[in-house]
Amino acid sequence: MVNLNVNGRTVEIDISPDTPLLWALRDELKLTGTRYGCGAGMCGACTVHLNGEAMFSCQLRVGDIEGDTITTIEGLSPEGDHPVQKAWIAEQVPQCGYCQSGQIMRAAALLSRSPQPSRDEIVDEMSANLCRCATYSRIIRAIERAAQEG
Amino acid sequence: MTIMYGGAEMGQGANTALPMIVAEELDADWSTVSTEQVGNDLDGVYGNPSIGGILYTAGSYTVEGYFNGLRQAGAQARQILRQMAAAHWNVPVPEVTTRQGTLLHNATGRTMRYGEVATLVQPDMPVEAVADEDLKPRSEWTIIGTDVDRLDIPDKTTGATRYSIDVDVPDMVYAVQLLAPVEGEAPTINSDAAARVIDGVLDVMALPNSVAVLARSFWAAVAGREALDVSWTETSPFRTADSEAELQNLTTAADDPNADAVVWESRGDGGEDYSAGNVITAHYTTEHVYHAQMEPLNVVASVDEDGLGAEIWIGTQSQTVSVAIAAAVLGTTPDRIRLNAMQMGGAFGRRTWFAREMLRDALILSRAAGRPVKLVWTREDDVKQGWLRAATVQRFDAILGENGALEALRHRVAAPSTFQFVQPDRWNPEVRTDPLIMEGSESRDYDIPEFRAEHIQAPRVSRLSAWRGIGWGPVCFGRECFIDELAEQAGSDPVSFRRRLLSNSPRGLGVFDAVVAMSDFGNAPEGRAHGIAFAGYKSSYASGVAEVSYEGERLRVHRFWAAVDPGLAIHPQSYLSQVEGGILFGLSSVLAERSSFTAGQIDQNNFYDYEPIRMYDVPEIEVQIIDSDNPPSGGGEIGVPMAAPAIANAVRALTGAAPNRLPFPRRT
Repeated sequence: MVNLNVNGRTVEIDISPDTPLLWALRDELKLTGTRYGCGAGMCGACTVHLNGEAMFSCQLRVGDIEGDTITTIEGLSPEGDHPVQKAWIAEQVPQCGYCQSGQIMRAAALLSRSPQPSRDEIVDEMSANLCRCATYSRIIRAIERAAQEG
Repeated sequence: MTIMYGGAEMGQGANTALPMIVAEELDADWSTVSTEQVGNDLDGVYGNPSIGGILYTAGSYTVEGYFNGLRQAGAQARQILRQMAAAHWNVPVPEVTTRQGTLLHNATGRTMRYGEVATLVQPDMPVEAVADEDLKPRSEWTIIGTDVDRLDIPDKTTGATRYSIDVDVPDMVYAVQLLAPVEGEAPTINSDAAARVIDGVLDVMALPNSVAVLARSFWAAVAGREALDVSWTETSPFRTADSEAELQNLTTAADDPNADAVVWESRGDGGEDYSAGNVITAHYTTEHVYHAQMEPLNVVASVDEDGLGAEIWIGTQSQTVSVAIAAAVLGTTPDRIRLNAMQMGGAFGRRTWFAREMLRDALILSRAAGRPVKLVWTREDDVKQGWLRAATVQRFDAILGENGALEALRHRVAAPSTFQFVQPDRWNPEVRTDPLIMEGSESRDYDIPEFRAEHIQAPRVSRLSAWRGIGWGPVCFGRECFIDELAEQAGSDPVSFRRRLLSNSPRGLGVFDAVVAMSDFGNAPEGRAHGIAFAGYKSSYASGVAEVSYEGERLRVHRFWAAVDPGLAIHPQSYLSQVEGGILFGLSSVLAERSSFTAGQIDQNNFYDYEPIRMYDVPEIEVQIIDSDNPPSGGGEIGVPMAAPAIANAVRALTGAAPNRLPFPRRT
């Protein structure tokens, strides 16, 4: 049994403590907005917030994060109206969309740490996440918009 | 109002562009439109006329193929609504007009929403056919050509969009496969005892190409797979396949004057002697690349109790192909296949014929297990089992006239046949033409008196598939690099030399001159250089300019300008996204993308050794759409072919050394 604090509620899950958080979210809690892309911490499709910081959920073992605060894309805002999400719509960022939960979670963490990031800061931070459709220019514009409109 | 659309959605925005065309002629209220992708098209009404009337989304054919038919469909539906309203109101049809989803009878002031009309009983009357000349003139369009918001985006910002990998149905189990390390080999399970004792593992099954582990969760299935003891037949002819050896063989073939060449395009009288002393020759190589779509391949299948039907959830570029495969596997008829065509997490050419193995496997597993099965490949499986863009070695031979004009060009492409692998039943061994390799090499816009493009076919030594840009990517890379070489040898320059070649192509010159102007070509800042390429895709035209520098050994592409003429862009913002994505796909193939294989096994594993472009390598991109008022064409591929040669030519201008290989060799 593992106890996790996900999106503001505590859940008890009957899984091995060495299960990656990604699979606990997707297969046990059915929070499928967090995506599997590589399982190796290389693509960022699985990015969630752990105590407010962007982390690859495929690299976290559930047994190590009991008591920590986990936020997924489903818990980022009550109505899908976090400034980053609104900016993502305004800039029409997604194409296939598969990586975008992870991109949004990383962008949101960046802005909470650095509300007015420079372009270099954005590029440095966001280079952790792959987008094969290459929506990168729109991601940059959306982050700049979210920073401005907050 | 729900508009069904036939093109499959893989990120390109077909889910918005196609319904826009219908809504325009239907005079629909766009704010009420939602859309749905067609699954199993049993009546054969939704197929793409440009692809044999089937549901098959590839080659940027969607907008191009559906445009006329969807206008007709929208207009015809509007006509039927008018007839029904006229009958209901008992007024003549011509007096019934429409405005944004509402039917009006001006004389009596009566109105009805489309939805109300649709609930009426359809009167028994012949439907009046709408003629082409009754379609709206372009000047009256209010939806086509506008930047409405994509309908799928809100759900893609909240995680709510469902891909097949997200599907969860009652009683479903998860499966992963230990796949044959070398194509064509079969497994022997030495022991599965260690796998079966793992908590959550339900079963282990041998399949023709693999051993599958069924479990209550994906993670348990992966753990079960790791505990398997399996040996393989080790008799595959691909055991000796080696990508370096293949490239050497292709080079030999390209240089063999007696090679068995399949002529793809020939203009002029063909009497040119390419062994003469004044011939200019160069070689270009493109290595294998992998699709790297973000969602690893997966399928969910639920076979019916009688074993003769199934529900399927799949992200596929071809619903028609997937249904046919499922019916064949189950020995049943297509009407027993309930196909849910899911949003794809990228495709790029990977999700066409993959169903013939992966869907088959999922169906076999579901039938055997008697319950729904979600079969998922790990990223490593996806990389190792890749269907690669074929490697090519291209040899060019050219003769310049005394005035510096290009008089004769022979473009030889040594490569295996991708078409033969993906569509063996349509491969004609008498003709042997492969559009997936050769299309683009015809250089149709260049005025070259003696021209010949030839495919020197080699046996395939890996699995193959089209990759974004298809043949145009590799062949335009080679040709456009060679054109810069010829310009130099002719004592000309990249712009003047190409303008002369394009003198009979107004649309070609249109994009070319536009990009020269946009980029202020040739006036790069200190330490940087510009390179240019002209490279269309089918009925689209494009030209690109790259601005590059080197920071030590690292190639930096700072800016990229493109001018593109699609004829007409239905949904400009989606079109621009496609062009930009294609340019970055092309840039990515320059930088680091390379699949290689040794002893029949792909060497790479995951994104740490196969790395698509990241944000830090993305240049500032400016794209200008040139509206030539021609029929529309798709945007999926058009960015790719121009990107790599423009960058290579910029490197040539900067350093004097022209890269002749994709990916570019590391600078030392």
